[in-house]
Amino acid sequence: MGILAILWEKWTEFKRDFYKITLAAMVAPLMYLVVFGLGIQTISHGEPYLNFLIPGVVALTTMNGSFNAIAQNLNVQRLYEKAFDQVMISPTPLWQFVVGQVIGGSLRGLYAGTVILFLTLPVKTGLIFNGYSFFIMFLNGAVFSIIGVVVSFYAKNHADVPRFSNYVIMPMAYLCNTFFSTEQMPPGIREAVSFLPLSQTSGMLRTIASGGKGDVAGILILVGYLAVFGGLAFWFLYKKKNL
Amino acid sequence: MIELRNLTKQFDRFTAVDSLNLTIETGEFFGLLGPNGAGKTTTIGLLSTLLLPTRGEIRIDGKVLNRKTPELKQQISVITQEYSMRQDMNMDEIMEYQGRLYFMPLKKIRARTEELLEFAGLLEFRRRSVRKLSGGMKRKLMVCRALLTEPKILLLDEPTAGMDALSRRQMWNLLRKLNEQRLTILLTTHYMEEAQSLCGRVALMDKGKLEEVNTPEGLIEALGAYAVDEATAEGIESRFFKERESAISYLSGKTGRLSLRDTTLEDVFVERAGRHLT
Repeated sequence: MGILAILWEKWTEFKRDFYKITLAAMVAPLMYLVVFGLGIQTISHGEPYLNFLIPGVVALTTMNGSFNAIAQNLNVQRLYEKAFDQVMISPTPLWQFVVGQVIGGSLRGLYAGTVILFLTLPVKTGLIFNGYSFFIMFLNGAVFSIIGVVVSFYAKNHADVPRFSNYVIMPMAYLCNTFFSTEQMPPGIREAVSFLPLSQTSGMLRTIASGGKGDVAGILILVGYLAVFGGLAFWFLYKKKNL
Repeated sequence: MIELRNLTKQFDRFTAVDSLNLTIETGEFFGLLGPNGAGKTTTIGLLSTLLLPTRGEIRIDGKVLNRKTPELKQQISVITQEYSMRQDMNMDEIMEYQGRLYFMPLKKIRARTEELLEFAGLLEFRRRSVRKLSGGMKRKLMVCRALLTEPKILLLDEPTAGMDALSRRQMWNLLRKLNEQRLTILLTTHYMEEAQSLCGRVALMDKGKLEEVNTPEGLIEALGAYAVDEATAEGIESRFFKERESAISYLSGKTGRLSLRDTTLEDVFVERAGRHLT
């Protein structure tokens, strides 16, 4: 099955770059937690700010982990190494290639998020992360992996992916219910930002972390993003005449 | 059998391949020749489904080839003009990835990899990443990768570019052997000697159009099997003769630095490039 071939490729890459991947996943989120959570000790929503922050940082870490695992890598394979040509030529159905990328990217995001959870273990926060949390993290990873696939396909040169990261991923990381609640935003902007996938993931992880239940609407929104970007990826692979 | 029917590929307003009609029989060694920009690589791109045609179609054994036909793609291997490999993978990984993409059993992938890398003299470098290989080694690895999946159709886009003379001859011998086993081979090359030595038939292309399809011998015969080179102030000028006697008779009436030789496919190419193709 083609999906397994793609997952094998991702696994090979993960094994080879294990330390680099792990370190890269840790540094920025750890800084956020130390600076905003431990350094500037405040109370938010009636509880320590760290309790608010951790689910948001875990969400943005899965986003970054998944997006970065796919977008830049695939872009290099397509435009520079031309290794993607061999996938196109091969009998592996292209939908399986996309699914393999999404699963591989989601697992990388999940791994990055889990590393952060592991690092926060010594801080006794009382936050709850259960199977449902991991499912949400995986789904969030899937959304940003498929966005990574689409961005890498539409990129015309090597600078396009970092550019997309700067204009879209980074603002999302700061604004989407991660460091502060979207409820504090002006009307109009609040609704728009709340609808973004990372806002949904942060919100759901936070609700579960404080003992609540995940929101079905949030999951449906994430699945909606997955479907829309999945459609774009399939259109590109099956219909685009010049790759 | 590969059939190209009215195959056309346009990039915006530029027509790279223009209404190409061509049939390549099973087991044939076919060459696609032409000057730079003739449309050879685009044709290979269409045959490997990297590009989709603007008009027309490609049929393999009667079935239309596209990106949704894995059963046809399974039969095809391509050696692209550029090195198309992940730079961070080593040779074993490159081969295993290819085998997995073609749904080969792991045991078979490993056995074939061993066999092919040994044949190509690459076995001792199997753990070396592609980034650290020389150009010739990368080219050989691409050949090994293409043969791993035991294709029925091999598309070669300038496969010996960047290879030294010895490696190139080894590659020719390998390709001949493969063709003897009924592998259909489509080759584009800038080395006319290569096309003449290997191909049963060649197609001459220019500006996306098919100019002529013939055997190398047929093309040479049409130009004249004998060539007389004459050194002039502008360089070497060649004249072509159908019969040896005519060439000798021409020589006897001339003084200066002249030589008689057999016409080659390169002469045909140069003549056409000079007179018709440009």
